[in-house]
Amino acid sequence: MHHHKIIFTGPVGSGKTTAIETLSDVPVVCTDQRATDSNEIGKPNTTVAMDYGKILLKSGETIHLYGTPGQDRFDFMWDILTEGGIGLIILVDDSNTNPSDDLARFLTAFSDFIHQTAVAIGVTHTDITVLPDLQRYHRLLERFELCCPLFEADARDPRDMSRLMESLLLSLDPGIHAPPPEDNDETT
Amino acid sequence: MRIDMIDSVLSDLNGSSADIEASSVVSTDGLIIAAQLPSTMDEDRVGAMSAAMLSLGDRTAQELGRGTLDQVLVKGDEGYVLMIHAGPDAVLTVLAKASARLGLVFLDVKRAAESIAKLV
Repeated sequence: MHHHKIIFTGPVGSGKTTAIETLSDVPVVCTDQRATDSNEIGKPNTTVAMDYGKILLKSGETIHLYGTPGQDRFDFMWDILTEGGIGLIILVDDSNTNPSDDLARFLTAFSDFIHQTAVAIGVTHTDITVLPDLQRYHRLLERFELCCPLFEADARDPRDMSRLMESLLLSLDPGIHAPPPEDNDETT
Repeated sequence: MRIDMIDSVLSDLNGSSADIEASSVVSTDGLIIAAQLPSTMDEDRVGAMSAAMLSLGDRTAQELGRGTLDQVLVKGDEGYVLMIHAGPDAVLTVLAKASARLGLVFLDVKRAAESIAKLV
């Protein structure tokens, strides 16, 4: 049986805990605590150690999902949680004041891990952004010389989250979901 | 002021035994409320680590059928870190020497946590 580990990260309130709750096939282990700065971060609770869930694949393989805390003060958890991981998903809250800076911060903090593995980026909260603009993130990725999947994703939507996961897995192993080779077809 | 009162509980605790080297009170989301730590130690770091450890301890005790968490104890070859709830919204973190008599430390820390719980 194969085990794979994928890490979710991103700024506070970008939807990491929600994403794992959406994807997990088992009850999620959360370390949510009441936020003393709830007004500032815009939500009552915040993750202080990690979230954990897992996806059970039909093949018998398991994908373990780990979510990091978003605040810089918990960055020691970032190193701990990425250990042994095969890929990273960064969620960016598009409704934040400066989401490109958020993304840049996480791309920098996780750059070693990203270069060893792969990354996919989900832009969340686009439903409450006046003018969602994915171009600014693409420009940022160019600056970081990264070519990776990036799209709008609602952390509450299982289809969006599966798409994000699949895009990450595909960039790790392009053969994963490839259809079986077709029989020799003469037509062009 | 309450912070002063919490500070004085920490001073009493640090003074109660030579085994206790430092202590701090942290909100459960990892922000420092009061601290009496060596200047070499980063308060924010201590705060975040205490919150993460205690929260994981909470969940571990529950998930593995050990009931409600009482304390988290970390032992290194140069001493102990003891984390204990001070009411539902705060954590008391204490650093003790490797040679500490743990029974006494537990007793002092538990008393201090009870006093702090009334103040946060």
